[in-house]
Amino acid sequence: MISEPGQQDSALSRLKALLLGDERARLAQHEIDLERLAARDDALADRLPELIERTRERDPERLAHALSEPVAEALGSAVERKRQLIVDLLFPVIGPGIRKAIAEAMRSLVGDLNRALEASLSGRGLRWRVESWRTGVPYPQVVLKHTLRYRIDHLFLIEAGSGLVIHRESAPELSDLDSDAVAGMLTAIQQFVRDSVGTEAATLDAASVGEHLLWVESGPRANLACFLRGVPTEALRIALRERLERIHERLDDPMQALRAGAADHGAYIASETNLARIDAEARAATESTAPRASPWPLRVIVLVALALLAAWWWRGYQWQREVATFRATLASWPGLVVQDVAGERWRGVRVRALVDPLADAPPRTIAADPPLPVAWDTRGYVSLDPPIVLRRATLALAPPAGVVLQLDGGTLRATGTAPPGWSASARERALLVPGIAAVDFAALAAAISPRELLERSLAPIRAMEVRFVRDTETVDGEAEVAALVAALRGAEQQARAQGLALQVRSYGSNDAAGGETINAALRDDRATWLALRLQAALPTLDVAAATGVPTDDPHVRLDARSVRVDVALKEVP
Amino acid sequence: MSNATRKVCLLGDFAVGKTSLVGRFVRNTFSDKYLTTVGVKVDTREVALPAGNVKLVVWDIAGRSALDTLDKSYLRGASGLLLVCDGTREATFRSALYLQMQSKSLLGDVPAVMMVNKLDLADRWEVTPLMVNECRKTNPVFETSALTGDGVEAAFAALAEALPP
Ligand SMILES: Nc1nc2c(ncn2[C@@H]2O[C@H](COP(=O)(O)OP(=O)(O)OP(=O)(O)O)[C@@H](O)[C@H]2O)c(=O)[nH]1
Ligand SMILES: [Mg+2]
Repeated sequence: MISEPGQQDSALSRLKALLLGDERARLAQHEIDLERLAARDDALADRLPELIERTRERDPERLAHALSEPVAEALGSAVERKRQLIVDLLFPVIGPGIRKAIAEAMRSLVGDLNRALEASLSGRGLRWRVESWRTGVPYPQVVLKHTLRYRIDHLFLIEAGSGLVIHRESAPELSDLDSDAVAGMLTAIQQFVRDSVGTEAATLDAASVGEHLLWVESGPRANLACFLRGVPTEALRIALRERLERIHERLDDPMQALRAGAADHGAYIASETNLARIDAEARAATESTAPRASPWPLRVIVLVALALLAAWWWRGYQWQREVATFRATLASWPGLVVQDVAGERWRGVRVRALVDPLADAPPRTIAADPPLPVAWDTRGYVSLDPPIVLRRATLALAPPAGVVLQLDGGTLRATGTAPPGWSASARERALLVPGIAAVDFAALAAAISPRELLERSLAPIRAMEVRFVRDTETVDGEAEVAALVAALRGAEQQARAQGLALQVRSYGSNDAAGGETINAALRDDRATWLALRLQAALPTLDVAAATGVPTDDPHVRLDARSVRVDVALKEVP
Repeated sequence: MSNATRKVCLLGDFAVGKTSLVGRFVRNTFSDKYLTTVGVKVDTREVALPAGNVKLVVWDIAGRSALDTLDKSYLRGASGLLLVCDGTREATFRSALYLQMQSKSLLGDVPAVMMVNKLDLADRWEVTPLMVNECRKTNPVFETSALTGDGVEAAFAALAEALPP
């Protein structure tokens, strides 16, 4: 079907002549003109620098435009031949670019960190913490494992010009996709973008295609197109770029590679585009930039939290116990009826209670550590608690010393000795005291007053006698008088101690012999005799002889020759 | 079996039936609706040849008239050209040849096939047998119809065969 080349050429020129006769003639004319111009400007070379200067002054824009192409070409060849020089020259220019790239990488790292931080505060984050704990994998890696949910479905290495696929990798189990058509369209779109933006640098880097995210890494001879699902990291982008660069190092003529057929592609292309490897590399890079948090802070936090929890629990338990003890104390507090105990561990307790005015003051603090105040909200009442009833009875009856009051189931018992007057009135008053139902004073002995005691001590004195042989001649001389004086002296002293005095009267007695007149005189003599003797011995004593005492006076005896005294107590005037 | 993949481009004036021919060739379908192509539409089809299979990546480029300049970037890396004209419009015949000429500055002499389309409307053709014969001297020429499918397969196969190995 195809004609020989020579034949083809002549045929084509004939066709050209047919279609473009006029234009060709004009073209020939232009060529002649051009040759003429070239000849004329041979001398131009000498004047070129000067001309350039002048043109620059007149129309700098035009000159720049004219020179841009050759300068660019010169630069290209300089880069080829004097690479080091160019690198040195360009470094200050490239530096900021590198810094910008680093800043971008940092930003993506910060993004990852933020994601991790956000996650750490959520319930999901907690779950991951537990997973990290259980598996021993550092937490940041667990976060990344869960957050880097992306998957590379297809990767095409595309020849930049034709859009033909040099190599293709697809994840297994994916429905087949016409990679050539896709790559072709992608390339067409790339070219369209470039044409419409108007610069070579304008490239389509990313697009979303259905459920896929499409990432394109562009190179001068080939592009990498990556169809992804999920949320990829910046590390994947870097991994793709590096691989594309490495491919470029060896892929001098992609069209050649294409012509040779897929089987003849260098194995390096397959290895560079291996999906699993790219994925692993990207994930490893992401993980290595993630902070490897030591598990210690978390452990310490958890330990501290546990300790705090235990302390809190212990304090709560202690507090419950303290409150229970406090309640028990109050329950057995006489004269106190607790209605309500409300307590808070940090502020103390508030007690509502009925309190008998006679009850002991209830505690003002609760024995916690530190002791906490107790706020009382009380109202009065009359308590029937035995200690309070007893206290009330004691207060009301004012028992004298020597009397012990006891309460036995509503019965007030008194023991000891009490003046008869007190017990009589106390018995009556006791029944008016609330809480006392009966009184039992049986065991209470009547008390002897000192005066009575003194009174009683006077009886032996009254029985004492001073006996006579006859008239006023004593039987034993002075002995009985001395005994009587001694007894009276003691009694007088005791009486004086009680603020009293003694009144002593002497009575004479006689035997039956003799006449009554004589006997009466004898009795008077004898009484007077003793009175005088006693007065002489005890000058302060109130002593007098009871003379003229009739024989029926009980102090007078008619069977003995004697004299006796009658002693009485009297108030000191 | 070789897995050679080759890029070929369809060049031709508006509405000559480029997209329709690709549709017939790739999917064996036809629609009489005219939706002008914007930019490029890329399709592929494998062609069985005695020497082995070749996968054609067909770039269906938006139509250009003789007055337009060809957007050459779409042609890069193409191994062959399918020139399409509409037999009922003589001007499209010239457009196709003109576009081929323009392509040469980028592609050089690549194999090309001329498809004079809409053979089913042969009674209204303006492209004369003389012109067709003249053209045959430079390119193989096929009279095709995307509507009926006549000549489509043969034209693509001829180009596929002519592609350099
Ligand atoms: N009768 C007939 N009509 C055709 C044939 N091929 C294409 N058409 C019709 O021609 C019109 C244009 O066809 P397209 O295939 O869209 O033309 P195109 O060359 O792709 O046009 P652009 O994309 O605008 O450049 C459509 O209405 C088609 O139905 C054919 O062989 N016979
Ligand atoms: Mg079309």
